[in-house]
Amino acid sequence: MLHIIVCIKQVPMVSELPWDPKTGTLKRETAQGMMDPAARRALEAALQIKAKTDRDQVYITTVSMGPPMAEEILYEARALGADQGVLLTDPCMAGADTCMTANILGKFIRDHCPDAGLILCGSMSSDSETAQVGPQLAEELDIPAIGYARRLELDDHCIRVERHVDDFMELLEMDLPGLVTIDHAGESDLYTPRYVALAGVEAAFKTRDIRVMDRTALGLDNDFNALASSPTKIIEVYSPITRKENRVLTGAVKKMVDTLFDDYGKIISSAMGKDLKTHDHEGDA
Amino acid sequence: MILEKQIWVWADYRNYFHSRVTLQILARASVLAKKNNAVVCAVVFGDRVDAYAGEYIAHGAQKVYVIDDPALKVYNVESYAFLLSTLARQYAPQILLIGATRFGQEIAPRVAKQLDTGLTADCIDLDMDDTGRLVQVAPSFGGNLIAKIITPHTRPQMATVRPGTFQELPHDDDATGEKIRRPLPENMPKPRVRCLKSELQQARVRKIETADIVITGGRGMGSKGKFKKLLDLAYLLNAEVGATRPVVYADWISQEALVGQAGKHIRPKVLFSFGISGAIQHTAALADARFIVAVNKNPNATMMKLADVALVADANQVCSGIIRALKDRIRN
Amino acid sequence: MDLNPCMKHQLIRKTVREFAENEIRPRAAEMDKGPGFPDDLMEKMKPLHYFGLQVPGHLGGADLDTVSYAIVVEEISRVSAALGLCITVHNSVGIYPILRFGTREQKQQFVPPMAAGESIGAFCLTEANAGSDAGGVETVARETAHGFVINGTKIFVTNGGICGTILVFAVSDSDPGKPGVFIVENHTPGFSVGEIEDLCGMRANPVASLFFEDCAIPADHCLGIPGQGLKIGLTALDTGRIGIAAQALGIAQAAFEESVSYAQARQQFNKPISRFQTIQNYLADMAVQIDAARLLLYRAADVKDTGRPFSAEAAMAKLHCSTTARMVTDLAVQIHGGYGYSREYDVERYFRDAKVTEIYEGTSEIQRMVIARHILTRPT
Repeated sequence: MLHIIVCIKQVPMVSELPWDPKTGTLKRETAQGMMDPAARRALEAALQIKAKTDRDQVYITTVSMGPPMAEEILYEARALGADQGVLLTDPCMAGADTCMTANILGKFIRDHCPDAGLILCGSMSSDSETAQVGPQLAEELDIPAIGYARRLELDDHCIRVERHVDDFMELLEMDLPGLVTIDHAGESDLYTPRYVALAGVEAAFKTRDIRVMDRTALGLDNDFNALASSPTKIIEVYSPITRKENRVLTGAVKKMVDTLFDDYGKIISSAMGKDLKTHDHEGDA
Repeated sequence: MILEKQIWVWADYRNYFHSRVTLQILARASVLAKKNNAVVCAVVFGDRVDAYAGEYIAHGAQKVYVIDDPALKVYNVESYAFLLSTLARQYAPQILLIGATRFGQEIAPRVAKQLDTGLTADCIDLDMDDTGRLVQVAPSFGGNLIAKIITPHTRPQMATVRPGTFQELPHDDDATGEKIRRPLPENMPKPRVRCLKSELQQARVRKIETADIVITGGRGMGSKGKFKKLLDLAYLLNAEVGATRPVVYADWISQEALVGQAGKHIRPKVLFSFGISGAIQHTAALADARFIVAVNKNPNATMMKLADVALVADANQVCSGIIRALKDRIRN
Repeated sequence: MDLNPCMKHQLIRKTVREFAENEIRPRAAEMDKGPGFPDDLMEKMKPLHYFGLQVPGHLGGADLDTVSYAIVVEEISRVSAALGLCITVHNSVGIYPILRFGTREQKQQFVPPMAAGESIGAFCLTEANAGSDAGGVETVARETAHGFVINGTKIFVTNGGICGTILVFAVSDSDPGKPGVFIVENHTPGFSVGEIEDLCGMRANPVASLFFEDCAIPADHCLGIPGQGLKIGLTALDTGRIGIAAQALGIAQAAFEESVSYAQARQQFNKPISRFQTIQNYLADMAVQIDAARLLLYRAADVKDTGRPFSAEAAMAKLHCSTTARMVTDLAVQIHGGYGYSREYDVERYFRDAKVTEIYEGTSEIQRMVIARHILTRPT
């Protein structure tokens, strides 16, 4: 049997964030959560492997580290077809950077899923956008890893991965156990996530088999503190003041277009890499 | 043991003419080094990479560590990470910077983990505070939040740097620097990931995801025939054309052109948006567009609010107007 | 008491909203030029159980509770009320009466294809001379040796142009006082669909007249027992009201959201119109009505889920949700000014779609009758 672990993350639904259009500030605290799109692609990859294989031969565990409300995405994963969900949650885990996150996930997998054959992550989450947890988890577990997968092919205890990295098309291969991150950009449609079927949601909440593990259950030290142990420290967070003047032009088309080029021609020409005449209306007189 | 302070830049030369990020970081490292009396070093792995080492010296590196071996011909993240962390342990640089190419973002976290140090991803600025700590400025939420991050206790202080963030220094033929050649360590483990194929893809020269100018069109263009006018404009502007979902559904343009959560994410310097109201699925993919010109009959369309310049007019007419203006203004 | 939605209901809402925003919204305005729904859209909805919302799993449905059901209809209607109408009518008055009153065999025969979306449901009661007054029904089911023969004409049938399984409310030829509900399939000889109605709103939904000319159906196509028609009809309507209330709420919610964003963006006299107290009052009134409507709706759905009589609660929810939809869409057009009267803006569609929620599935006047009857007959 192949035990696939899919690491998923709850991220704020940016599209739903209330914005202050003046400053471009977003109010993160009121945001609704959703499953990180890249993680959902990773889950989709796991579900496709399961669908292709004899169903009993593949078991999918989704694991997420996050606040209690992150339980929702584990139900969503169950609704999509994952066999089990595990939430690692404890106040002492808050503030973990990518390195500590990899340590905690690694501890869970080592201690509680020793039979894990394939570990899947999204290549980059939509909120912190670091692309670091997957590779660091592989280091933590000391297993081989391949990033940015576009296509997976399982062959017994070996996995072949097609990926596109910096203009190079690569075909890589490794023996399992191993870790693969699924390309978040998804130029190929192969792992475009399926929609959640409504029966799945109902069934996920009927069975309610989401396991919640805190510090003790996970076997972390009494004085464990992810924030203090993280090698990086955030010293300041701010919203860039978008100095968009949002200039609205109305009136005759020709006049608007002339204004556009007269006032912003430089920006456009430098992006084009060509010079543009700015009419200073010298010819008009 | 070397006591001088060093700032390292891992040299990503694989796509040299296309990707200048290593040169850009060298330029920034030179600025940081002056503040801190540090030495700028490049680190190159590969097969017959001497010419690159020379290039890095011409672009600001004072020292270049080179491991040149046929075994390193193909980029391999495990081998390269092993070599980089081995050298870093030996020479103990204060700072280690890597271009945030995909490969760079793959190797950096592994090296950071092997060195038990912190790493900040995809920085859009780097600075040094009065105590010599590297202040790493990283965006999140598609640039909607910016975090300043430090690595207080562990060394090296590591960051990946977004391509295009810094300006490379001009090529200086007279620059001198020291090339330090190191042999392949004997204890290098056999890579567990095997490369079956790695080839530079003769992709289209330009892609919408990386294009400097993108033109997107929505239903407001009116019809398939009128939508095609955007292609004429794209030719003049040296731009790529994208579209919204309804337009792709209506088969005005192929699925490839879809810009949105389910399609391409773009980060142009200038975005022209024609007749797009701005559903969240679409606008989420535009977060990194630097300068937006939007055209819509509806002044209150979301797209118009996101724009730097919003033209309240028929998209199709403005498209024609811009084509006329460009023909007039492009200097031959 | 907890009036906050539970995690399941939140996830249901997110699930439907994601689908609706991605797949339905981009086409909603085009669909409004109607009639009919794009085939590929319907195909996408089928495996996600939108056509078997409350159907038990063994019959191929999602087995949702009624609150979840209301959320689904609200979210679909928030982007396309006409499609929301299709879904709610199919599920509540098309499928539900069969689940509630059908025999085991009837459920096995009719429900799975409906739940799979292969056969769309319709319920027809209204006739030229019978609307609110079901006593005026003239469609006749004549009992024969082999079953029944149906004759009559039904009008304003929602989903009429696409229906496959039709519940027909008809009187018995022998005893006109004892109507029944009969299941007619669209391939039955003698059944035909009239012209699609040219309606003010809900234009994507192919509302049509249905003709039954000597439609012979087997005896086991009579739902429940003969003469039980009125009870089945009233139960169907009670359930249907929850769906229509949810639909109306979705329309109101959509119009409200558009209004808030428009009011913040639209500048007049050098400031956003949201800074004017008049507009603020409008928005506040809209918000209060919508919140009240939502609470009434979820209460009705919850009462139904607990198995208690929910007729009065459903009527109150339907009355208030539809009134709210009309009021909110009216204000939304007003806030949008001239633009709100233009087809280029969605609020114009919402405005047209809202009105009929006060008419079908029991007019507001009928809802008040139902509510009053409950007040006056309630033991004090």
